[in-house]
Amino acid sequence: MKVCSKYKKEWPAFIAGQLPPGKEEEIVAHLRVCPGCRTELEETRKIISLAAGFKKEIEEVMATVDWESLPGEITEKVWQQKEQKMPAVSPSRWRAWKWQPVAAGLFLGLLLGGALTFMLLKPQKPGALIPRQEAGLTWPADLVERVDVALARRETIDYLERSQYLLLDLLQNSKPGESGFIHQEKIRQLLTEKKYLNNQLDDWRLMKARAICDQIELLFLELSQLSPELSAGELQKVRELVEEKQLLLKINLVKKELQQGEV
Amino acid sequence: MEQKNGRTVQPQVEYLVDRIKNGDREAFMKIVAAYQQKVFILAYSMVRDREDALDLVQEVFLRLYEKIQSYRAGESFQAWLMQIARNLSIDFLRRNKTRKKSSLDGLNLDRADLAVGREDPDRFQTRELVYRAVQALPEKQRLVFVLHHYDELKYEEIADRLGIALGTVKSLHFKAINKLRKTLSPSLRGDR
Repeated sequence: MKVCSKYKKEWPAFIAGQLPPGKEEEIVAHLRVCPGCRTELEETRKIISLAAGFKKEIEEVMATVDWESLPGEITEKVWQQKEQKMPAVSPSRWRAWKWQPVAAGLFLGLLLGGALTFMLLKPQKPGALIPRQEAGLTWPADLVERVDVALARRETIDYLERSQYLLLDLLQNSKPGESGFIHQEKIRQLLTEKKYLNNQLDDWRLMKARAICDQIELLFLELSQLSPELSAGELQKVRELVEEKQLLLKINLVKKELQQGEV
Repeated sequence: MEQKNGRTVQPQVEYLVDRIKNGDREAFMKIVAAYQQKVFILAYSMVRDREDALDLVQEVFLRLYEKIQSYRAGESFQAWLMQIARNLSIDFLRRNKTRKKSSLDGLNLDRADLAVGREDPDRFQTRELVYRAVQALPEKQRLVFVLHHYDELKYEEIADRLGIALGTVKSLHFKAINKLRKTLSPSLRGDR
């Protein structure tokens, strides 16, 4: 049996005549003494023969096919299917492309709108940014604040100086017991300036300046009620008031203080 | 490029495949021309219908075009293509299993079936029995048998086409013959 199974594996090659001469003769010798193997070999030969019959059938069928034109037909169909699939993709791609600028515009608008809203509405902290519409730029909030205070300080110094000159002019150009003359126009001008200056004097760093400016304002308000030519008595009262309040001294001190605080 | 030694044509095939990957129609047509008959033989041995086999050939090459980007240079192109053909043929048989009563899958090639062949020893009938017996073989045995006897490929060529070892091909063929002999022996003896 062991010998048989050894030869059985070679039958297809034996039938096809593909075995080396020595091997073929060995099998022939075995077949002479083994009827079982002869039967199996015969069956195998039939199967292969029948398979060859099927091979013939395939060949007959293949002979009916136009192999020369088939590659062209297949290629055409494959390319048609490929193109049929493409339009299904390309319109949507086209639509997407068409709407891309709109989508991009909307996105950009939302982005810019969001950023502007955030910058306008967010609480201003030191170091934070605030918009400066005049310049179309944004600056750090503390820088802007410092600039605002510096400007207020400068304008306050200017106001104090002109007020000082006006008072000196009034008090020094006339001796005690004599009448005086006040420039009503200048007083009105300073009173108007003070109104604009009030907002800037709200800052806590200008509290001292605000106090002296308020006193000056009160004095100027009194003077604005008087006629330009002051009587000796009126002038004396003004002089006493200025000296009592130490207005000129205070103006000097505040001025110096403001000048030292300037950047 | 047509046929026998797959190894020597591989570089040329890979050149064509590269061109197909870039959408070259001419290269695709050349590949179809080179492999159409091999695909047809495999498909026809599976479905045994001329039109169905031709439809399968077209389907195989359409699938090849769709999947060509996944083919990697160095692989056996023929083995890769035949794998597609084999899978699509099996799918086809499965799809038609319920539709066609003569479906090959699930055929019970018992003695009764073969007795019909003995009663009617007409040549066509016998050939039909062999065909059905071949279809009833396990997939790998069937492929090796089909390629060896219908496509007349040597063992080495089958090994190359299917991407399996030579020894495995020989073993599968021996098993296929043995199984066919056992299945068909009543008919064969009656025919004697």
